[in-house]
Amino acid sequence: MISGVAMVKGGLTVPWAIMMSLLVYAGSAQLAALPLIVAGAPLWVIVATGLITNLRFVIYSAALRPYFADRSAATRAALGFFMTDFTFTRFMRSVQEGTLPTSHSDAWFAGVCSSNWITWQLSAMTGIIGASYVPTEWGLEFTGTLALIALVGPSLNARPAVVGAAAAAVVALVAYPLPFKLGLFCGAIAGIVAATLTDSFEQPTPLQSAGEP
Amino acid sequence: MNEPVSGIALGVVIVGLALSTFVTRTSFLLAGARLRLGHRVEVALRYAPVCTLAAIIVPDILMHPPAHVLDLSLLNPRLIGALAAGLWLCWSRNIIGCLALGMAAYSLARVYL
Repeated sequence: MISGVAMVKGGLTVPWAIMMSLLVYAGSAQLAALPLIVAGAPLWVIVATGLITNLRFVIYSAALRPYFADRSAATRAALGFFMTDFTFTRFMRSVQEGTLPTSHSDAWFAGVCSSNWITWQLSAMTGIIGASYVPTEWGLEFTGTLALIALVGPSLNARPAVVGAAAAAVVALVAYPLPFKLGLFCGAIAGIVAATLTDSFEQPTPLQSAGEP
Repeated sequence: MNEPVSGIALGVVIVGLALSTFVTRTSFLLAGARLRLGHRVEVALRYAPVCTLAAIIVPDILMHPPAHVLDLSLLNPRLIGALAAGLWLCWSRNIIGCLALGMAAYSLARVYL
């Protein structure tokens, strides 16, 4: 719902916001791309930012592969596209608990993903339509930033994440005057390097995930 | 106040973002066993989102419009809202409460400071 509110209050018209919600279907990538779209950043910067924000799905995708190896490519592509933080976590929990129906794992996962998709899209539409009736003066676009804070907060439970986030923030602030929002990239890359270095001094930590897709 | 963003350019941006979702989510599911994730790569991928989001959030709070210069003052409404939201998250995982408290602190600071 917040992604819906933030899209409309960020300056997208209702039809475009609906299209973005339906096609992109990645809350954190949408929230991350939004300020760049509003600031008129170049296409490649916006798409690259969405891509980095979505990189965690590569890990999920690798983790899911063994369970769907014998399904058709179309099935794997569809299950992949509709996979989110929540549905991935849900799938892995049922694997751990031994409650996954292994011969129908694709149908089971499709059920979880489709109900999650419907819930998410309905609440995004509620946010989009509702926000279009709220005056801009209320400053509701700030909910986008707050939602990102809520996404990041729970992942700051391991030292590499904290070090990486701090490095990313400082470098992004220092590099802010760079054109094309490139400061964002410098920050992200500095953060990833810092987090990886910190991790190499420590024990591996379990995979984290956030609430929204 | 922002002009509504629209047009072909926005359509291209949306298609690009949709592709980024598709490519990352289906990557290993479609590539089959040919690809393998090294430990280093997996660690980098794991921390990429939190780093990117930090690089977006912090300047958004401290270098807010219209001036876009560093504002570390405790009178900065965005900083007040973000601190309130962060403190709430330390205490509870409830996202609705985090948004409500953050928005309330931000709005009060904008009105009264």
